[in-house]
Amino acid sequence: MRTDNEAAPHPPPAADPAANAVELVGVSKNFGAVTAVHAVTLAIRRGEVLTLLGPSGCGKTTLLNIVAGFEEPTRGRILIDGRDVTLTPPHLRDTGMVFQNYALFPHMNVFENVAFGLGMRRMPKARIATEVGRALEMVKLEGLGERRVRQLSGGQQQRVALARAIVIQPKVLLLDEPLSALDKNLRGQMQIELKELHDRTGLTTVFVTHDQGEALSLSDRIVVLNRGEIQQIAAPIELYRHPANGFVASFIGDINHLPPAECQRCGSDILFRLAPTIELAMPARADLALRDGRKAHIFVRPEHLRIADGAGEGRNRVLCQVVTHVYQGTHTLTRVEAVGLGLLQLRIPGGEIIERAPPGSRIVVTIDLDEATVLAEA
Amino acid sequence: MSAAGTGAPRRRPFFLPFLLVSLIAAGLFLAALGDVLHYSVRLFIPGSIEVGGFTLANFARLLRPIYRTVLLATLIISFLTAIFTLLLGYPVAYALVRVRRGWVRSLLIVLAITPLFTGEIVRTYAWILVLGTNGFINSILKALGIIGAPLSMLYTSFGVILALVQFSMPVMIMLLATAISHVDRSCERAAANLGASPLMVFWRVTLPLTTPGIVSGAVVIFAWTMSAFSTPQLIGGGKVLMLSNLVYLEGLTNLDFPLAAALSLLALVVAIGSLGLMRPAIARLERKATLY
Repeated sequence: MRTDNEAAPHPPPAADPAANAVELVGVSKNFGAVTAVHAVTLAIRRGEVLTLLGPSGCGKTTLLNIVAGFEEPTRGRILIDGRDVTLTPPHLRDTGMVFQNYALFPHMNVFENVAFGLGMRRMPKARIATEVGRALEMVKLEGLGERRVRQLSGGQQQRVALARAIVIQPKVLLLDEPLSALDKNLRGQMQIELKELHDRTGLTTVFVTHDQGEALSLSDRIVVLNRGEIQQIAAPIELYRHPANGFVASFIGDINHLPPAECQRCGSDILFRLAPTIELAMPARADLALRDGRKAHIFVRPEHLRIADGAGEGRNRVLCQVVTHVYQGTHTLTRVEAVGLGLLQLRIPGGEIIERAPPGSRIVVTIDLDEATVLAEA
Repeated sequence: MSAAGTGAPRRRPFFLPFLLVSLIAAGLFLAALGDVLHYSVRLFIPGSIEVGGFTLANFARLLRPIYRTVLLATLIISFLTAIFTLLLGYPVAYALVRVRRGWVRSLLIVLAITPLFTGEIVRTYAWILVLGTNGFINSILKALGIIGAPLSMLYTSFGVILALVQFSMPVMIMLLATAISHVDRSCERAAANLGASPLMVFWRVTLPLTTPGIVSGAVVIFAWTMSAFSTPQLIGGGKVLMLSNLVYLEGLTNLDFPLAAALSLLALVVAIGSLGLMRPAIARLERKATLY
């Protein structure tokens, strides 16, 4: 497990514990015999957008519910603003949650929905009106206060839910897959708006999603979860370029997982023998503890496989047979097969490759290991 | 059959057979109602089950104070029964839906539903045993020294309402439980998240969202109690009279079919009329609580 502390420039480095808005200390949650969350320790810095990312059932929503107080952890403690809230009921925690289905109150209009939390805080009526007006303006719903929520579109309901959560100025904003119910275009637009909203409010935000694209574009830091355990905590770029393990490598973006290779040092290079006829070389790196004879797993992004120009001999060249092309507009995803390596995916800019190398034709592919992730087999 | 050959063959709507069944049921009901209507405008001949010529005298007889008193009592008993059944049924229905332990839920279901399997007469006799001068409640209170003389509960409106409430509970609980189980739990969570205490969550979210169930429960029990017969008959013992008991008395004791028919029509009109009067309020409540 890699816990990254230097990568994110956005929130200032945290020295004192009060800089953390939320802290989870050794939090576990069992549902009967099922462990949903296992020994999660995590500090959420004030003002950052932290994403909990993982496949369904990885425990990300359970973690969010534990922070909000809807679930009690089996073990461990939760601190909000340095105060232990492990046993505090949800209504006294000052968190603002946006639910996956929005959970707007159907018997209230937009204004009443947004005003609910302020009313519970016994704010004077006149101030409530001002605050609700400001919140609705922030989510671009000014003038729709009298609307009933079922008259709103999905995107508008989403905004009401956001306004309702931010108007109470929560200590932490909790977003539970808030974009998953929207169609694709709207989702992209809401991503941008969420980002702008965060810039304006500066609210500490925990964002739960299973969509790695959303996570990469919205987060200051991403926590990758699998089977209730933290796999890696890192800034998006770091996560994409240096996944800490095979799960993270395969979960974030497309990646080619090459068959296990045997390592051998050769001068300043490391040689990987993948098949009797295939050897790949990489400059030795300090962070890699690879001794001769050890097995290593190599992960290469599709954009780091290139079609070799010319036919000359060179480093890391592999003869492949083209299987299919999938045209994607800005680029083409090309699948090739190499003896001993299996199927590989290439990401080639433009679409000329489709004409140049029809399925069945043979091409030479250069595998660039400089950007590859190499993990020693445990 | 001009459509034949001009277009695609029409599919017969699948619900036609169901429609037929309801038409037969409606026909039977209308025939019975017609008979009642017919009797209500015939002259009563004392001492005979034969009726005389056409007259409106039966309706004039309804204006006597005794009938107004019974009508008012019927309305009050029905109203109170609906209210008390609602107040007692809501917590049970809420627990039924929300309790997590399987066996507690099963127990609640059994307790709530079994009364339906004992007939009305059996249950009413059980109430006589409970409420009587030497019945269960009085014996216990006397044994505990709380009362000296037995309380009179049998043959009182209190006893009648008590038995009617118990009789109505299963239906009310089922209607309310359905409504409560349809409340979106995430709405309640959202309210708690926004700072509402459990009591506030119930008051501001759960209760308003179950309004349709509350309204239909209260209306059903009100209308149902309006036509209650055996409970007031046995527990009221002639001292507490509701419209049905009066119909029975006039029709089968005095053999005054015309007056009984007129009374029946009055009961029908009052039941429909009071539901009509409640309509604006009901509609407003339901509009306020309309779901998505």
